[in-house]
Amino acid sequence: MRRLSRPLLLCFAALVISVFLSIGLGSVAIPPKEALEVLWNTLRGTAPSSDITRIYQTILLTLRLPRTILMMMTGAALAGSGCAYQGLFRNPLADPYLIGAASGAGLGAIISLTLGWPASPFSYLIVPMTAFLCALLTVFLVFQLAKVGKTLPVTNLILAGVAVSSFATALTSFLLFNASGELRRALVWLLGGSTMAGWKPVIGQLPFALIGLLGLLIFAYQLNVLQFGDEQARQLGINVNRARTRIVIFATLSTAAAVAFTGVIGFVGLIIPHIFRRITGGDMRRLLPISMMGGAVFLVLADIIARVLVAPQELPVGIITSLCGAPFFLFILRRSKEKDW
Amino acid sequence: MKKFILLTTISIIFSAAFSACSPIAAPAISEISVVDDLDKQITLDQPAEKIVTLSPPITEMLYAIGAGNQVIARDSFSDYPEAALSLPDIGGGFAEYDLETIIRLTPDLVIAGDINTPELVGSLEDLGMIVYYLANPSDLEGTFASIETLGVLSGHENEAKELVEGLRSRVDAVSATLEGVEEKPTVYYELDATDTAKPYTPGPNTFYTSMIEMAGGENIGAKLEFEWAQISLEQLLIEDPDLILLGDAMWGVTPESVAERAGWDSLTAVANGEVLPFDDNLIARIGPRQVDGLEALAKIFHPDLIK
Repeated sequence: MRRLSRPLLLCFAALVISVFLSIGLGSVAIPPKEALEVLWNTLRGTAPSSDITRIYQTILLTLRLPRTILMMMTGAALAGSGCAYQGLFRNPLADPYLIGAASGAGLGAIISLTLGWPASPFSYLIVPMTAFLCALLTVFLVFQLAKVGKTLPVTNLILAGVAVSSFATALTSFLLFNASGELRRALVWLLGGSTMAGWKPVIGQLPFALIGLLGLLIFAYQLNVLQFGDEQARQLGINVNRARTRIVIFATLSTAAAVAFTGVIGFVGLIIPHIFRRITGGDMRRLLPISMMGGAVFLVLADIIARVLVAPQELPVGIITSLCGAPFFLFILRRSKEKDW
Repeated sequence: MKKFILLTTISIIFSAAFSACSPIAAPAISEISVVDDLDKQITLDQPAEKIVTLSPPITEMLYAIGAGNQVIARDSFSDYPEAALSLPDIGGGFAEYDLETIIRLTPDLVIAGDINTPELVGSLEDLGMIVYYLANPSDLEGTFASIETLGVLSGHENEAKELVEGLRSRVDAVSATLEGVEEKPTVYYELDATDTAKPYTPGPNTFYTSMIEMAGGENIGAKLEFEWAQISLEQLLIEDPDLILLGDAMWGVTPESVAERAGWDSLTAVANGEVLPFDDNLIARIGPRQVDGLEALAKIFHPDLIK
């Protein structure tokens, strides 16, 4: 436990700093003093004193705060499930999208875009909801296909995942090709642009992401044991297939929640666990929580860059995660004393 | 059983999460009350004085009806008229719009266009904005209706009506001149030919097709299936259009570069030098300039009839 506390504390401090930065920075410059005043007044429940503080309040509390939370949860969900998958599949290339969550979500989003739902105040939640459900369905399908009797071989899971993913991607492309009118909307979605502001996406995402992440943390020990290989895990008293199923369920839940509300953001789930493995070692009980925090910090920072870099426009945050993440990761790799990548 | 409990929990969370955000509807009697193209009821106490536009045609039409000084911000692509360029830029395109700045400018009306997603409209409304969504029409009558709608919203109803009257009489003049004309040139309108073996051309139910027909021409793309269709060079050779209009001229495509494309020299229009650059904005941008576009097309198709 002592070995865990210091890096966790550092990560927590970094998270607090990045959250404050994310709320403090934006295209409208709000003086820190006024921003703190607005926050303090809101906490006390007093009404804003003037029009300008009312505007600041909206910007801070209905735009920046929910977006920061959304990015935090997405980063944690992607890094957490990426970490779990790398352990589960014993494969350094595994990422949260490996067994179909992203391509399923993409297919769901495009289907619901082309169906042309009647307009209603809820209509803009339909796309993320269908994306979420399709992501779960796709992984469920992969799961069923990979099953052999009562066992769940890892290789089957990966292969079925890759096959089902490319099938879903092909379907998505076909629908895109046909959906001329909705192409723009579909592209916005697929480019990972979360076009929703306010608290609704947070309310939609938070419960699923939290359940998924908590589940992963609870099964961290089993994940440790699974890394020794099926035979040894069994000897240590673990029901291998049941443990594997649970981990896939929780990882999928958080990944699907992330993808549905922010689009496909690459790289975070792949790289963050690797970076922290170098710092804390491979024990999932340490690595999982630290990766989640690290993922949250990383994505919040990337989002700040995405907002500030080409203001008033914004870049899809996925571009930033790869642009900044890849060189940083290579730097870590080169510096690390281990010869083995 | 465990699975059942898990599923039930999930569905409870699901429904709880989304019942929290029920719609707020407050019908009120006021001066302006209209239904937009997302079937939302829009009510304004008075004509909008501070308008943010999210799409170039809307900016252009607002300026055309004299509401230019009520526009307080525009999207990045609103480049016409030139006066609009000096307004604050609030982003747009595939990148996101700058919601913070929109809020900071406290508009009393945001007008979104076809290019904007319903998600964006919903987000803006959640932030307390009044958003009118104006869908793209597919013929000139639709453009006129859009101009009049913007007139109502901005309190320039009369200017809008006058503008539309003038435009309509110009359209009528073109139709009158072309009445009874039998000979209609076939036209291939090029949108994009990055792949010269199957370039993009406008298909049926588009402004292009309806305007080319009104101008006394025949769009060969009208026979295709999709609105924005890729026509194969083989099909193009069989159709062998009388005229080629380069809507992609603004991206550097020239009649010379068309002649150099493999296989294109067998087209009659290329051999006859009937390949003409065309300002795509005169068709693609919904607004009064489309009538300029119609006249320009008619002049190209029937140079002897239209002066």
